[in-house]
Amino acid sequence: MNAPVRLKVENLVKRYGGLIAVKNVSLELRAGEIVGLIGPNGSGKSTVMKLVMGVEPVTAGTITLDGTDITRWPSHRVARAGVGIVFQHSRPLHRQTVLENIKLALLPDSLIRLFADRDVDTRARAIADRVGLSAVINRHPSTLPFADLRRMEMAKAIARNPQVVLVDEPFAGLTLSEVATFSDLIRGFRDEGRAVLLVDHNVKSVAALVDRVFAMYLGERIAEGTAEEVMRDPTVRRVYLGGEITASHKRGEAATRKPPLLTVEDVSVLYGKAQALDKVSIHVGAGEFVSIVGLNGAGKTTLFNAMSGLVPYSGKIAFDGRDLKQLTAGGIARFGLVQCPESRELFGDMSVEENLDLGGQHLTAARRREQHDWLLELFPILRERRTQAARTLSGGEQQMLAIARALMMDPKLLILDEPTLGLAPVILEQLGRALERLREKSPITVVLGEQNVTFALPHADRVYVLEHARIVWEGDPVRFAKEMGTGYL
Amino acid sequence: MVGLQILIDGFAISSLYALGAMGFTLIFGVSGVLNLSHGGIMAIAAVIGWLAAGDLGLGTYLGTLVGVVAGLVAAYVTYFMVILPIQRSRAIPRDETEIFILTGTLLWGIMIQVGLAWLFTDNPVTMRPLIDGVTYIAGVRTPKNEIMIAVICWVVIGLLWLLVNRTPAGKRLLAASINPRGLTLLGFDLSRIYLFVWAIYGVLAGVAGVLLASFLGVSSASAGQLTASAFSIVVLGGLGSVSGSLIAAYVVGYLETITAYLIAPTLRPIPALLLLVLVVYVRPQGILGRR
Amino acid sequence: MKTLLRSPALYIAIAVVIVAALLPLWVSAYLLGILTVAYYFGVFSMAWDLLFGFAGEVNFGPTFLIGLGAYTAAILDNEFGPPIVVCIMAGAAVAVLGGLALAVPALRLSGPYFGLVTLVAVLLLQNAIVIFAHWTGGEIGMTVPDVLSIDTNENYWYALAFLVVCAILLFGLSRSAVGLILQASGQDRIEAQALGFNVTKHKIAAFCISALFSGVAGAMLIFYMGTASVDTVIDISIGVQVIIAAVLGGRRTILGAALGSIFLILATEFLRPLGQLNTFVVSAVALAVILFFPDGLLGYVLRAGERE
Repeated sequence: MNAPVRLKVENLVKRYGGLIAVKNVSLELRAGEIVGLIGPNGSGKSTVMKLVMGVEPVTAGTITLDGTDITRWPSHRVARAGVGIVFQHSRPLHRQTVLENIKLALLPDSLIRLFADRDVDTRARAIADRVGLSAVINRHPSTLPFADLRRMEMAKAIARNPQVVLVDEPFAGLTLSEVATFSDLIRGFRDEGRAVLLVDHNVKSVAALVDRVFAMYLGERIAEGTAEEVMRDPTVRRVYLGGEITASHKRGEAATRKPPLLTVEDVSVLYGKAQALDKVSIHVGAGEFVSIVGLNGAGKTTLFNAMSGLVPYSGKIAFDGRDLKQLTAGGIARFGLVQCPESRELFGDMSVEENLDLGGQHLTAARRREQHDWLLELFPILRERRTQAARTLSGGEQQMLAIARALMMDPKLLILDEPTLGLAPVILEQLGRALERLREKSPITVVLGEQNVTFALPHADRVYVLEHARIVWEGDPVRFAKEMGTGYL
Repeated sequence: MVGLQILIDGFAISSLYALGAMGFTLIFGVSGVLNLSHGGIMAIAAVIGWLAAGDLGLGTYLGTLVGVVAGLVAAYVTYFMVILPIQRSRAIPRDETEIFILTGTLLWGIMIQVGLAWLFTDNPVTMRPLIDGVTYIAGVRTPKNEIMIAVICWVVIGLLWLLVNRTPAGKRLLAASINPRGLTLLGFDLSRIYLFVWAIYGVLAGVAGVLLASFLGVSSASAGQLTASAFSIVVLGGLGSVSGSLIAAYVVGYLETITAYLIAPTLRPIPALLLLVLVVYVRPQGILGRR
Repeated sequence: MKTLLRSPALYIAIAVVIVAALLPLWVSAYLLGILTVAYYFGVFSMAWDLLFGFAGEVNFGPTFLIGLGAYTAAILDNEFGPPIVVCIMAGAAVAVLGGLALAVPALRLSGPYFGLVTLVAVLLLQNAIVIFAHWTGGEIGMTVPDVLSIDTNENYWYALAFLVVCAILLFGLSRSAVGLILQASGQDRIEAQALGFNVTKHKIAAFCISALFSGVAGAMLIFYMGTASVDTVIDISIGVQVIIAAVLGGRRTILGAALGSIFLILATEFLRPLGQLNTFVVSAVALAVILFFPDGLLGYVLRAGERE
């Protein structure tokens, strides 16, 4: 490896108030290599990319580009120094054509040059051709399909021939064949001698493309090496899978014979042009515990938001005999389908007691008190913190409050979206035990969306696997452990 | 003595300002709307109240009540005819909604101003005092009406506080201003919450308008100035913070009164404006601003 | 350049200007006077559209910049009596300083906050003028000793020429490479910076350019009317008119703003028999346009390509 080091990050730290998003990260990026920066939500990988690009200010540490210290440089200076970035979400100028969008990337940062150089047009066309946009060069972004918008982002990023290319989630929203084309494009960048840094959740999807992987979790480096080495690393596996996968036959048999409480039929969701869900169908029986397993970005949250009526979708969702499209989002929650989202959505400035109280507004006063007392028993830590503002609770306590608040609504079906995100193992145990007791005491139906398979399996009657907006596997936990276990990553 | 006079007069005018500003900021905090026809709604309440009390012979008390109801109706008309269509419009891009609401309400405010002037001329209307006569507070001659106004303002403010902090409906309002999505997930339709907050706003603006007519007089021409002082106060106090507006109202009210008494009445609005400029440059989120 | 010369729109525009220049042959002096004012307002609106449409900043108080230009020129002329051109240049300079003063909070605030700041600026100027009535004539206003011309036709042609020159400059700027960068800065700051553009620098420039044109137009309006007052160049309702004209004509088209202004002023004039209600009707129509045709007249036509 004698290629020059293009980008060097040393002891990088980023603090947002009390939260440390990036803790002492150091890495090197050489010319002619593709490095994958991998990690689940909240690992700090996107933040590292933003810090390099100067989009966010650095708290501590240094960033060097070809020997020059660019740590405190503003974005535009970093860009002019030879760093190109492809953001996760496409950012076109809607009122300009594709050609004009690319030309913009070629313009100098001048207030007085009213006319672009003659060769800007030629160069822009050449770049468009390179990424495969020649056919649509005079169209406006709103008329283009998703993949072409992503191509345009790539075109803009490489327009001025940067030596370092940063790509945030290169394959999000692309079909499998598009993934192949884009991989070739990125490989092309590397073969031209550029240094490429990819950021992604999914080791598997970038494994074929990258030369090296740098894995992060909760702001820190947890592993570094080739893709295979990292996928086999025990810390990485624990972070992604949660640890050893154990499963036992639960009430699996009996549950599948129950009538379905919730049916999701051929549901698809588009976020702008991106296919967030592609003809997903699942069913959940009354009293069942169904785990939907998948990495961040697979579509779990989108699926839950469709169920809760928070995003428009095509297809049908029926719950307890009713077509949910006929109810408002608030109506769906009142009807008994309650979601505890990944972002928790607590009322930070209100106390624990007030948060719980708001959850119980639809019950009679007596029922509310009953439910309230039961929940404080289920989550004893909340009793201690009753009068504290929700914002002051720890992560685990906030999660418990969010779940308790959702349970205050006495739901028929509870959706839990990634409850374990960022929580310590001790808290996970408490959470797991609370879920056990919940199931023993009440006939509640639970749908759990999790990346952490170790947490998701023991409670589940059935498991679905969601990958790239599609359901790719269905079955009971034991079969899952046997079939998917190792290949899951 | 001038000092005590300033204290009393300033208190009355500040209380009125507070009422007007708190409504303005409540609407912003809960539904994200900056209603630039605010002064127009207050003016409508004042004029209708005056009409009801005088021309329709309902007397001062009943007239005041009618004025408040007029404010409520005007608020709802503003919501349904101007704001909701802009929020629901698919032709307006998401990120420009706020700007369109600002422009739309500004236009609507002008329509109200011109409409009122055409229907009732732009002479100021003054409500007859709710209580006649004067009294003496520590030797300072004070109209009883002024005291009554301050009392009513604080009763309303107190009721508002009780509503938001002690009733379930009020708690929902508070929750909506903190996290609207959280509230939806708990089974509440935001549309109903918005209807509720606009009703409160209408009442607040109506009361402020009618009381102002009783204290200083209101004309259709003052609609613009009323909006201007309301949002100056609200920016000072921090957009979205109701308690911030309360504090800022008193700061502005007293600054104005002190200026009027000690410097010159014509320079009344200046110190507050200068303070506003300072705040905007130094601490744009206002005294207690959150968003 | 080549595409420009081949475009039919250019020839339509030239035809329109020629017809406008020949209007004094057929049209009454009264109507010419209305049009003269309309043309100056056209420049106000175009300058606003540049700032909004291209730099993405909503200026709710364009009359702050206009008023600075107007009153500086007027006061200078009254106190020291230099030639009109010098007064106008001074007005422009002060307006640009005003633009810089607005740019500073603009870079730190967003959306509604900044809009409110611009409104406050107008209020401040309004109050300042009333306080310093000794120099400014206060609420009544002031007269200026010099005017551009006493001949209606000459005034009309000055205004038309000014409008055409400003239109060419502003429209040209909007279509230039710098205009493209401004648009990017206004639409997506982070992306523009990631593409290597110093957004701060460009936004400040946009403020200064908008201020320059507003200030010059404001000063010229004063020298046309011979008077300056709060009601004619500072009041919020004037500012609203400027904004409505730009929105009516089509945001981000520059030329639409000029058309919108002319349409608005002619419409208000046409409705004069209604008395005070003409403002009401015009505001109502403008509100309806905002609700149902937010893209405006020209905007709807020019945006056909963006729709599928």
